Amino acid sequence: GISAPVVYFVDYVTNSIYLEDIVDSITVQDHINSVQQSGNDTSSLLILAEKMGELLARMHDEDLIHGDLTTSNILLRPPTEKLDLVLIDFGLSFISGLPEDKGVDLYVLEKAFLSTHPDTENVFKTLLKTYAATSKKSGPVIKKLDEVRLRGRK
Amino acid sequence: MDVRHQLELFPGCGVTLLLFNRVKNAAALRKKAMEGSIEGALINPAMIVDPFQILVAANKAVHLHKIGKMKTRTLYSEIIFSLSPNNNISDAFKKFGISDSDTAVLIVVITDRGETVNLEDIASQVEGQQVPLDELAQLTDTAKVKKMYKVTPQEEKIGTLLDSIVCRMSTKDVL
Repeated sequence: GISAPVVYFVDYVTNSIYLEDIVDSITVQDHINSVQQSGNDTSSLLILAEKMGELLARMHDEDLIHGDLTTSNILLRPPTEKLDLVLIDFGLSFISGLPEDKGVDLYVLEKAFLSTHPDTENVFKTLLKTYAATSKKSGPVIKKLDEVRLRGRK
Repeated sequence: MDVRHQLELFPGCGVTLLLFNRVKNAAALRKKAMEGSIEGALINPAMIVDPFQILVAANKAVHLHKIGKMKTRTLYSEIIFSLSPNNNISDAFKKFGISDSDTAVLIVVITDRGETVNLEDIASQVEGQQVPLDELAQLTDTAKVKKMYKVTPQEEKIGTLLDSIVCRMSTKDVL
């Protein structure tokens, strides 16, 4: 139940995977950049954050760790206004129920988010809030996230 | 009325789909298919939601045929097997191939570069009416398809039924 490109064909000879092409999609990264640059109302970014928080909560509740969460690994299907998100690039993903792994998954996104998109602390905060509200197992995960943040500073 | 598609990954390789309704000789056709005397895959249209589903199966079958790694004996039986979400060959034939009591048949023909196939010849063996491929949607048994591929309501909220089916077909070797 997670939106991702459909796998069409797996070629074991050349070790290639043929996936659906999400035509005319843009990355969340490009979207955030264009909203900020055009000086548009950034409150729309808060709704985007809620959608992302919800998507990640559902993913983690299935014990799926993405492994490389960045805003360029989340696409927006056209029309952009619909905020229809698609997760891509599962090259580093794995299955785990550990709050530590989920916390790290979020931490990676937080670091990527804040370094790529200045002045978006509120946006990420909203993301986490929705994540916590949506995920049934969020308590320990957020706790681990806090721990990982402290570790990262040392 | 028949539609010929090209396989992108195998240029020159064409996939032609012929749909027949009000078929009276399904039993005889099934026998011919088992004997290998009909140049095509005979598929139960109730299990097909979109021609793309056939193309994905055909693509995989042609690929495996070219590298000599088919699980079944012929290209046409391999197409039927590729449609199945599991690795049980006889189950695939039962569910996706035609049964004696079927009244509709979808015939899939593969032609390689330079080969010609006599579609009239194949059509003449069917005691039924050839109909446009657009009628496929009317013949699909959506409930049966969902049950066969074990599609969950959660999934249906995220993507189309075709998406769910294609994913299962293409990744069944890994799971």
